[in-house]
Amino acid sequence: MAFDWDVIWRNKYLFLGGLSVTLKLFVLALAGGLPLGIILGLGSLSSRRWLYYPTRAYVNFIRNIPLILVVFWVYFSLPLISGRSLGPFTSAVVAFVIFEATYFCEIIRAGFQSVSKGQIQSAYSTGLTYFQMVRYVLIPIAIRRVIPSLLTQGIVILQDTSLAYVIGLREFVRTAAIVDSREVRPLELYSFVAIVFLVLCLVGSLVVRWLEARDRQRV
Amino acid sequence: MNKQDTAKGSEPMVQIKNLSKWYGDFQVLYNINAQINEGDCVVICGPSGSGKSTLLRCVNGLEDFREGDVIVEGVSVKETSHNRGIYKLRSKIGMVFQHFELYPHLTALQNITLAPRKVSKVPGQETEKIAMELLERVGIPEQARKHPGEMSGGQQQRVAIARALAMKPDILLFDEPTSALDPEMIRDVLEVMVDLAKEGITMLVVTHEMGFARAVASGIIFMDEGKIVEQGDVESFFKNPASERAKDFVDRVLVHI
Repeated sequence: MAFDWDVIWRNKYLFLGGLSVTLKLFVLALAGGLPLGIILGLGSLSSRRWLYYPTRAYVNFIRNIPLILVVFWVYFSLPLISGRSLGPFTSAVVAFVIFEATYFCEIIRAGFQSVSKGQIQSAYSTGLTYFQMVRYVLIPIAIRRVIPSLLTQGIVILQDTSLAYVIGLREFVRTAAIVDSREVRPLELYSFVAIVFLVLCLVGSLVVRWLEARDRQRV
Repeated sequence: MNKQDTAKGSEPMVQIKNLSKWYGDFQVLYNINAQINEGDCVVICGPSGSGKSTLLRCVNGLEDFREGDVIVEGVSVKETSHNRGIYKLRSKIGMVFQHFELYPHLTALQNITLAPRKVSKVPGQETEKIAMELLERVGIPEQARKHPGEMSGGQQQRVAIARALAMKPDILLFDEPTSALDPEMIRDVLEVMVDLAKEGITMLVVTHEMGFARAVASGIIFMDEGKIVEQGDVESFFKNPASERAKDFVDRVLVHI
């Protein structure tokens, strides 16, 4: 049995297309999940009950069900209620943001709680409002402290994008499956997909390691 | 407690009236009454757990209290705590903390300019100029672009003082500013504080540094277990404390001077 790596080269545009869908989904999931996670984190620390209880209910519920259920629900069930279908890509983005925000919430909340009361008081003592303190002091300090955990979650999200396969999204893994159905070279095709994911995650780790080193004095 | 004989005439800077505070069921401040006039440098001393830091934090609304009130420049802290007025009030009261509490992700300069830029909306270039002047004033202009993690405790505390001064406060609160410093650095920070006192800035200082108190304080408040045991003139407190408790404290403290 010979390796036919050419099968990848022959279908390079398809793969580039699939990869770009994966990366777009990843970036949007982050772009939506992180800010929402920060808001949920703040809500989880609020002394106002009308903020705290709904936030915790939502976070705890989502964290106890599998991502695939959220994906299905957004793709199949939501259109039944709203009357409109979102399509695989948008459904995937919405599902990922809803889901991943709760994981970011727990990570960032730990970061918030690690910021000392004295730090927050010193910010207030100069006349900063709550929102200014949160924006210029609490969030920057907390995020820097939880960068390793955020990275891990980012890697998980990148790999989880392959789950959107099940609603027919033409992301990277599905592209390999499509090519495979035609060319029947599963070994080369899925090895290739694995190697690409490996490289992407490694590069991500290196970037974050660089960020951590730069921030060592600033945490 | 007037520093100068010529009274300023108008009302005192800070009036603490019948202030009592509880943490749940546990009372930590008992009916505190005190008055600080403009230009005063009042030292608050006493054993640990006497409520000194808590009292200080009631003055700028960082801690709430159930009974009594603090009037700062005519403004009731109790009333403004419930609305945005507390932010404005705090911008007129500077505070220096025991553990410096500088923002670790910002340089010294950025630490100092944050509040003037965001609260007073002073443009960036001007705040930088003011900040550099303040760093010169506290003796460490070369630290401007360094982060707190790269500075010694004494340097950090002086940046913290500059940060408090940046908002041009009418009153400065100090919460045991030298307690977390190595002995060699205590002098650097105390020198800055002595200069500030001599310039006539109104100061309320919680400290164990009795040498500082004797040098520049215009009045002293001795607290124990949440109550003011004695308050008044500095020299008479040290030479002739009225209560047993104060006598005991002074004896122990003066051994170290």
